Amino acid sequence: MKKSGKGIGIMFYGTGYGNGYPDVSRAKAKIDHTGRFTIYSGACEVGQGAKTALAQIPAEILGISTKDVIFDHEDTKTTLDAGTCAASRQTYNTGNAMKLTSESLKKILENKAREILNLNKEQTLIFNDHHIYQKADPSKQISFKQIAGSCDLKELEIEEVFQAVTTEMNEETGEGNPYWPYTFGACGVEVEIDTETGGLDITNAILVQDVGRAVNPKLIEGQMDGGFAMAQGYALLEDLNIVKGEIKHHNFTKYLIPTALDAVEVKKIIVEDPESSAPFGAKGIGEPVMIPVAPAILNAIYDAVGVRITEIPVTPEKLLKAIKEVG
Amino acid sequence: MAFKVIGENVLRVDGHTKVTGGAKYPADLEMDNMLYGKTLRSIKAHANFTIDTKKAESIEGVVGVLTAEDIPGKNCHGVLFKDHEALCESKVRRIGDPMAVVIAESERIASKALESIEVVYEDLEAVFDPEEAMKEDAPKIHGVDNTVFHFKIRRGDVEKAFEEAAVIVEDTYYTGAVDHAFLQPEAGIAYEEEDGTLTVVAATQYPHFDRIDIAGALGLEEEQVRIINPAVGGAFGGREDLTLQIHLAVAAKKFQRPVKMVYDRKESFLAHCKRHPITMHCKTAADKDGKLLALKARIVGDTGAYASWAVNVLRKAGVHITGPYEIPNVWVDSYAVYTNNPFSGAMRGFGATQPPIAHEQQMDRIAEKLGMDPFTIRRKNLFSLGSKTATEQVLKESVPLGRCLDALEAAMNEKPLPDKDINYLEDLKAQQLKKEGFWNEKIR
Repeated sequence: MKKSGKGIGIMFYGTGYGNGYPDVSRAKAKIDHTGRFTIYSGACEVGQGAKTALAQIPAEILGISTKDVIFDHEDTKTTLDAGTCAASRQTYNTGNAMKLTSESLKKILENKAREILNLNKEQTLIFNDHHIYQKADPSKQISFKQIAGSCDLKELEIEEVFQAVTTEMNEETGEGNPYWPYTFGACGVEVEIDTETGGLDITNAILVQDVGRAVNPKLIEGQMDGGFAMAQGYALLEDLNIVKGEIKHHNFTKYLIPTALDAVEVKKIIVEDPESSAPFGAKGIGEPVMIPVAPAILNAIYDAVGVRITEIPVTPEKLLKAIKEVG
Repeated sequence: MAFKVIGENVLRVDGHTKVTGGAKYPADLEMDNMLYGKTLRSIKAHANFTIDTKKAESIEGVVGVLTAEDIPGKNCHGVLFKDHEALCESKVRRIGDPMAVVIAESERIASKALESIEVVYEDLEAVFDPEEAMKEDAPKIHGVDNTVFHFKIRRGDVEKAFEEAAVIVEDTYYTGAVDHAFLQPEAGIAYEEEDGTLTVVAATQYPHFDRIDIAGALGLEEEQVRIINPAVGGAFGGREDLTLQIHLAVAAKKFQRPVKMVYDRKESFLAHCKRHPITMHCKTAADKDGKLLALKARIVGDTGAYASWAVNVLRKAGVHITGPYEIPNVWVDSYAVYTNNPFSGAMRGFGATQPPIAHEQQMDRIAEKLGMDPFTIRRKNLFSLGSKTATEQVLKESVPLGRCLDALEAAMNEKPLPDKDINYLEDLKAQQLKKEGFWNEKIR
């Protein structure tokens, strides 16, 4: 017999290393003699989209397109330490470092432009595609390249650092501000369970993610799909079968993860509530997207067949056994 | 404020080369005159050993076999404690511990030569259950107490709250170890540059930190070591601890030739950390209206043979076990414990992924006892602007959890979303993007 049920789960996630540990990101930026912009920061692109989303930050500030941002992050010889690519901290921490660096460089360029164009501080300047012009009289303009040609290039190099603010917790009571910012989310699923085989299908899935501000919604959507799939594996499939310290399931014929055929069409909802200490309000979501999924599945199982599963993964065998036990 | 680039679906700048096969992952790299390395790993969970590599070294095509003696600097690494040996000297603490690395002219010769390394093990008593490992008479995996870390929250008076509660729900929840299962198993290449810089090319989550440990093992200054992070085939926390980097660097320096190593899937499973298996015992109390009164939780995380991020992970688990709820009385004990299991470390969620398995089921159980629905019980308790967490932290801004829940309920009931600031990506945004020709859009 097929039985269906619904379940939800909600979550919070504290970003960063936490507990007062220095959570530091550095970035360095420059304009070269051709007017090109390069930013150096050791944030890793591990598939999450850092190379794209982080490059959107200087692009926004300097009025250039993302493809014109040269983002050097792969080599310790050229880049500065941006901390680990973990704890959902790169958009927030390194994003902040890149924002500060880009803003400082913009200020330098602005001052140079005023000097050369003979404009006072009252005049508004616009940055657009490697050019700076006066808003009131766009004919008064100068390119990044012209500025670079007019000064020592060292003057067009700048380095900034960002450090997240958390405090160490009291060892006896836990009192303190261990993480910042916090990110929130919710998941709801509907499942259909075959009570004769223990097989489970997710027939409807909704994932809602607070992001502070969405820097790149498509990348967030990708993270949400990936996070859902990973959580689905965590809740239902993945078992290393460790016996006396030995991993028995050490390849993908035995260690089952969701395949394309298991993937669920997830309805994804992004909630924005900009965080003032974050770059343009953006919080990290790499980890949070995974967190509320497994509990939603477990609650849906209970709603469907009345068994409370307290141990994951809920493989068909385990589910079938539990269903039989409650009769 | 209107943005030009923030909020735009800029296409991935690395997308094209990745989907067309142009991107270089570490296993794709080749150099002239390259050597290959293969690792000998422990088949015992806890043992002393002696090793004889003479026979392997005499095989034609083998240029050498690295053991602990060949590490010129400090034979240790670790993200928090330096409790990993780059190559085990005389004791293994888990199945999979690296003991020697054969360096040869080809991968085939290196693999074959592994079989000729002679190891004599002397078994030590092992412990696989963290509860057992916490006992005083348990075998000590690192010569000290197996309890690596104990985190506490003490807020209010839980026992008094339990006495006054209308509903109490109590159970134990268990989450197992899982693997990151990233697409690309560990691989890398190391070589010495003309100026003497030792360069390691391997996928990582933190090149600058790797450099510290690699330089330490080589006995070099940090500036003499260079890390290049090529295309990374997924990570999810599994590329934070070092695996083959020190082996590559030592071999490249010793033999003055480029050295390459590529793990297969089984070795990848053996080499990197796992998600912490965690047992969570939770006792949760609420009043008759569904308002939470107290939580008492005992959390035990099995960090296996090495600490890796255990302290930070079990701290995060301890802070997040309350769920996103206001609870006036909270008592938490969260422990990280050494065993002889595969070591645990970072994985997506980092100690915050396990607790909802417990707290979200506790919430539904309380709701059921009170005849309340799952949305209502959560709304009565969830964090909102100005809420205090169990660590007395005030949530001063950006706490849109209520809006998340409202959006979820509307979507589950197929009703329009309640809030104009919310992007319903699948429908509204996608339709809008299609209309705007997003799919043909080039990188801005």
